[in-house]
Amino acid sequence: MARNPSIGPLLIGVGSIMTSMSVVGFLLGYAVDRWLGSQPIGLLVLGFLGILGGLMKAYRLLSHPDLFK
Amino acid sequence: MAESASSSGGGTVEYIQHHLTNWCVGQCDPVTHKAAGFWAFHVDTFLFSLLTAGVIVWMALKLKGQLSLERPSGFQNFVESIIEFVDQQVKDTFPGRNPLIAPLALTIFLWVWLMNFMDLVPVDLLPFLAKLIGIEYLKVVPTTDLNTTLALSLTVFALIIYYNIKIKGVGGYLKMFLFHPFGKFFVPVNIVMTLIEELAKPLSLALRLFGNLFAGELVFLLIALLGGTAGIGLALAFLFPLQVILDLGWLIFHLLVITLQAFIFMVLTIVYLGMAHVEEEH
Repeated sequence: MARNPSIGPLLIGVGSIMTSMSVVGFLLGYAVDRWLGSQPIGLLVLGFLGILGGLMKAYRLLSHPDLFK
Repeated sequence: MAESASSSGGGTVEYIQHHLTNWCVGQCDPVTHKAAGFWAFHVDTFLFSLLTAGVIVWMALKLKGQLSLERPSGFQNFVESIIEFVDQQVKDTFPGRNPLIAPLALTIFLWVWLMNFMDLVPVDLLPFLAKLIGIEYLKVVPTTDLNTTLALSLTVFALIIYYNIKIKGVGGYLKMFLFHPFGKFFVPVNIVMTLIEELAKPLSLALRLFGNLFAGELVFLLIALLGGTAGIGLALAFLFPLQVILDLGWLIFHLLVITLQAFIFMVLTIVYLGMAHVEEEH
């Protein structure tokens, strides 16, 4: 199983996408809570969605069929 | 803490704060000299980012007059090797064809690298020279200013949105928000998750570059303080050689860091724009 030359850049992207999606989720949740006064519901819900989205994005990128050929 | 540092080390906190304060013009705080409104301009950031951009243009123009197929100069070979390296990255990472991507990637790589390279200029040299002509604050590394990294990443973000709309159409782009990633039964969740995904792109680009370079600059300042705070005496005899060794070590290591950060910024730009060019399956 030979490695695709694009695996390196792709993996750099995966790590940063996963972490920054979690951060953006929490930030958006914090902003929504401040706007609606709904502490800590927004932070928890959007934070969770950020983490989940990051993990799903990482999984989808890493399971890309062209990653290994 | 600031007081004890000040009394024992001749104002180490003030020294660090001074070197991390921009030359601010416009709506700036008169005490802290930090930006205090939208119309605050960091003149040093403008100056050094334009200066480094000017270096790229000047080098390109210089090379243009010397280009030769039969007898390429060493400089031409060097520039060609950089262009081939960037071109190979684009070929490996970018799906399809877009004549803008490779020049954009090359510009980002060279410009970010040169702006990062300003970190290797001795930390006191340019602020000292600036003080001689009456400029109190001068931060010489544009990428240690969040405004620069955010400006770069927001430009890339604008291109991502543009190509998303161009390739997928307005309807296709909106569909991505509505039906991705959980399908048509979870539209509100899909909108939030796709919004998070899209906003994460410029944020990850900007914060990584800013964080790495800011931390690097801070380490240079701390190393510079070793000899600077020792005073005259036995401590200086030990700390000054230590400062030179640590400075050299960090400088060599930092050469890797600045190159890696420029490379990562370029590669992620290609990856994100590549994602914008791919029609996703749902």
